[in-house]
Amino acid sequence: MNAIEIKNLTKNYGKKQALRGLSMTVPEGAIYGFIGENGSGKSTTEKLICGLLTPGGGSIKLFGRDYTDPDVRAKIGVLIEAPGCYANYSVWNNMMLQAANLGLKHGEKEVARALKTVRMEGAASNKFKNCSLGMKQRIGIAMALLGDPALLILDEPINGLDVDGMRIMREVLVDITRNYHCTVLISSHILGELEKIATHYGIVRGGRMIREMTAAELEADCRTYVALQTGEMRRTKALLACKYTRVEEDEAGYIRVYDAAAPEEIVTHLYENGILVREIKTDKVSLEEYYIDLMKKKGDGQHEI
Amino acid sequence: MEKHELRFESPSFFKRLRGMLSVDFYRLFHTPMYYIFLAIAAMIPALILGTSGMPNPQTGAAAAPLYTNTWHIVAAETPLYVVNHIGEYANMNMVFLFGGIMVSIFIGHDYKSGYVKQLFTTHAKKQDYMISKTLVGAFSMACMCVTYLLGGVGAGLLTGTSMEVHAGSLVIALLSKLVMSLGWASLYTFLNVIFRRYFGISIASCFFFGTGILIIGAAAIVGNSSLLNVFLYGASVYACLSSTPLTLAVCLAVSAGWAAFYTLAGTLILNKSDVY
Repeated sequence: MNAIEIKNLTKNYGKKQALRGLSMTVPEGAIYGFIGENGSGKSTTEKLICGLLTPGGGSIKLFGRDYTDPDVRAKIGVLIEAPGCYANYSVWNNMMLQAANLGLKHGEKEVARALKTVRMEGAASNKFKNCSLGMKQRIGIAMALLGDPALLILDEPINGLDVDGMRIMREVLVDITRNYHCTVLISSHILGELEKIATHYGIVRGGRMIREMTAAELEADCRTYVALQTGEMRRTKALLACKYTRVEEDEAGYIRVYDAAAPEEIVTHLYENGILVREIKTDKVSLEEYYIDLMKKKGDGQHEI
Repeated sequence: MEKHELRFESPSFFKRLRGMLSVDFYRLFHTPMYYIFLAIAAMIPALILGTSGMPNPQTGAAAAPLYTNTWHIVAAETPLYVVNHIGEYANMNMVFLFGGIMVSIFIGHDYKSGYVKQLFTTHAKKQDYMISKTLVGAFSMACMCVTYLLGGVGAGLLTGTSMEVHAGSLVIALLSKLVMSLGWASLYTFLNVIFRRYFGISIASCFFFGTGILIIGAAAIVGNSSLLNVFLYGASVYACLSSTPLTLAVCLAVSAGWAAFYTLAGTLILNKSDVY
């Protein structure tokens, strides 16, 4: 069963079209990385799934049921932008309020478990307004975890966090998928972090889904390349460009050769032309590079799934 | 990942409402604003009764007190929709005016803090939200009516103002005013749902309708017509010191009727529009 199944979803803000027939499938149990530039429609899609916005058209099904069904809504945990908490209440009281709102029988136990999962058990008595951004985001996730959700929707939970905050958040997300057994839809701009946890990806642009794939498909799509440095970079690039179809210089000062058979072949070819290789390595295209590449190709916002 | 069988439990209306009410009542009892408004409600009649008959500080001449009977601070002797004298207007109905501001602040804080996201992204339906806010608003206004009464009685005793009244009519008038809290709270919840993105307009609109200016204006044209009783302000005025059991029945019907109407209308608006 699919946790989320969206078909031809549209949404307008006045005259501005935010979603233009977006379709999306999130399999049950997936950690779905939802990627797109600012204004591409990620947050709008998530708010629509959560019921905060009303769609212009199309359908949203969660676990095979209509998304407005209270039965299925009871199994959704949400963190949209920032957590909605009362600034003057303690973390614990905010959590208990949400537990009461959900009608949890063992509220205190569940709150304690959720706070432990997000590494916030020591800060339960802190006032919400005194928490750091990273702590607030984790509190938001803890609130979303109350009621043992089957689907967790997290909108940009990593953005704005420092390196340590990101590391903690990554550990938290891994723990959640292990201990809560829920499907996770997570949007983020920080693709390097997303790449470490996601099992599925959806790339959205201009209110349309332009690519959906599994992590395995991404792995296959992300070609390997050979990166090298020599003493004569300009000549090297020109020489390699004659032999290989795609040769580029990257930001780190390496020449990248895509579709190359083997590093040895390149070294030999350059040696035969009097160029000595200083450094050579093979690597894979990262999600970020893949995404940028895809964005360049789909400049027209063409729909392709 | 380990496969878990999903079970969907249908949360009943009462379970959903209980959850939302427990959040709202917790908030109400843990916010200083509630106690401030209770105190304001107690101070208003005390100040009016205590100061209206004070001598003029320049001339030293004693002013005519606004009320010669303590219970006039609760309600007028007869239902007077056309206001000729401030004393006919300044009674317990003022609680509904200040109550509107309190309800606006209470609901506005849901949006300001973003807590409304927590409410609407769970199993709660939009009607649950409307009902919960209306009930909490009605409760708080009813409490303000009680502190208003206590403030008025206390001031009446201290100033030695007459306490003569038909006890039965007074009790019915008080009960009717309490009952009207529900209708007023539903109106204010509705206005706050409409203007949820504009906090200032929410407060201003609640204040505007709370003054009863539309009914007072209508009464200036049609006179003291009993037809005005179908409106919230009209029914609130109808609850006077000559009330009969019929007054209570009318107030009950009007309050419940408008509460149902505003709850349905508010639910419809929330269902058809973006809530956050």
